[in-house]
Amino acid sequence: MIDLAASGDTWGIPGPTFLRLYLVATALVVALAVYYRVRPVGDSRDATTGPLGPQQVAYLNGGPRLAVHAAVGGLRSSGAIGVGPDRRLLTTGPTPSGLTPLDQAIHWAAHQRARAGDLPQDQRVREALDQLRAGLEQRGLLRSRAQHGTARRWAGFLFVLLGIGLFRLVSGLFNDRPVGYLMLALIPVLIAALLLRLVPERTRAGRAAVRDIRRQHAHLAPASSPAFATYGAAGAAMGVALYGTASLWALDPGFAEQAEIQRQAASGSGWSSGSSGGTSGDGGGSSCSGGSSCGGGGGCGGGGCGG
Amino acid sequence: MTGPSGVGIGWRPEIAGFVAELPGLRFVEVVAESVPASGPLPSGLVQLRERAVTVVPHGVRLSLGGAEPVDPARVAHLAAVAQRLDAPLVSEHIAFVRAGGLEAGHLLPLPRSREAVDAVCANVARVQAELPVPIALEPIAALVDWPDDELDEAAFLTEILDRTGALLLLDIANVYANARNRGTDPLALLDRLPLDRVAYVHVAGGAEHGGYYHDTHTDPVPAPVLELVGALCARRRPPALLLERDGGYPPAAVLRAELDALATAAGLPAVT
Repeated sequence: MIDLAASGDTWGIPGPTFLRLYLVATALVVALAVYYRVRPVGDSRDATTGPLGPQQVAYLNGGPRLAVHAAVGGLRSSGAIGVGPDRRLLTTGPTPSGLTPLDQAIHWAAHQRARAGDLPQDQRVREALDQLRAGLEQRGLLRSRAQHGTARRWAGFLFVLLGIGLFRLVSGLFNDRPVGYLMLALIPVLIAALLLRLVPERTRAGRAAVRDIRRQHAHLAPASSPAFATYGAAGAAMGVALYGTASLWALDPGFAEQAEIQRQAASGSGWSSGSSGGTSGDGGGSSCSGGSSCGGGGGCGGGGCGG
Repeated sequence: MTGPSGVGIGWRPEIAGFVAELPGLRFVEVVAESVPASGPLPSGLVQLRERAVTVVPHGVRLSLGGAEPVDPARVAHLAAVAQRLDAPLVSEHIAFVRAGGLEAGHLLPLPRSREAVDAVCANVARVQAELPVPIALEPIAALVDWPDDELDEAAFLTEILDRTGALLLLDIANVYANARNRGTDPLALLDRLPLDRVAYVHVAGGAEHGGYYHDTHTDPVPAPVLELVGALCARRRPPALLLERDGGYPPAAVLRAELDALATAAGLPAVT
């Protein structure tokens, strides 16, 4: 083989041969990376166990912080928590029944006069959030840290390949060899490596679940000015889970302001650890919207509706 | 498309999720002006139509009682909405909401004069010419009567219904409010109205302010209004009764109880 290689070939391998091997290796790694990314994760037997609760939906839609806000919305809606003039949470009335572990942890934290913004750091709250996350991983809706690592490892291999290619490119340049095709080949490899490096927290099933639930609960969208008094605690929690803290502001602006809860609309485009969604403007709406049969316009707050 | 039947509720975006979960519901009403003539319909309405729930568009902005002819664009919109919802009929108020290009923003009562009857009948005829379905007319509440009324309420309504062939949308809460605020007997009015022309009945809550009863649509339906529903049904039970709630929405259980109370008062099956 040696004698086939021209003396000037970089590393003793002819350009076309290297390019062919290089592209085959890249295709193989990309295929494996894609496979590990899209293959269903989690226990398939668990995938059909009951509908998702508001806090699970919130975690899927906006991460741990939104899950906390969904629970706060539910607890506030049922009158279990309030906020004091010192902007710290407090408990009001008896503890409602049927609370989730996250509800209980937040209720306890409120009892300890925690600030709403500090809830995600609270020890019990963190444990409840981890529990919530584990459940979602088991159902194959969120990637576990291990699955996340596996998916990213293949992207890592691509970067190794990219490094080899770059090294060959530089060597070729120094050897005064033609490197045009190699340079062209490196562009898609770089793009693939960058794309595969971004592994979303949610799996395909997780995204589909949020999409379905959003469709089922379109009536909770802020644009409808949903009557949270009618929908109750579960409706309030689901409203926050799907549409962000804008729902919490619509539910109880006094509480949301006093508790210093940032007004955000959940974008539904996923989240990464750290931030969620974009901020929105005013998501609230008074009950004086144009949908009344009172004749719209100035028909609110006046005398009689007359119709 | 079947006519309205049983106990219904006014569909509002705010309580769409509540309405969607009423298992026995056969009939809702939607503010016609809130439904687009083209483009996607509100998903809640689409789901109700898939369940074959009758959806009646209820206009509030036509100004049938105006001296000037009704706006053809508004009539076309009402007709388009009726078509889109496959509605068996539409309804509007005997009232005016604008005059001389000025928007009142409220439904305003007409003087009960022969001239007003002529104006209303002319406008109803214009609307009927464009509508694919019948129209039901709803008289509105008024705290005071105009000083130069030539006709009483029953004669005024009967005249309009006879001349237009329109159906009647009777608002029982208005009947109660008018009688109460004027010190008259609501049953006497019921006895003189053409109850065989009633397409359906509005029932709403109200509250007393400053000695007057206001038909607010944001308060619970008071017992006397439910009693009046019973008295009406004893005379002639209308095919359908609709609860109107436009704000101050209570918890779902309270709203369901109100629908049940209405069904009981009317002797109709519960929808909850």
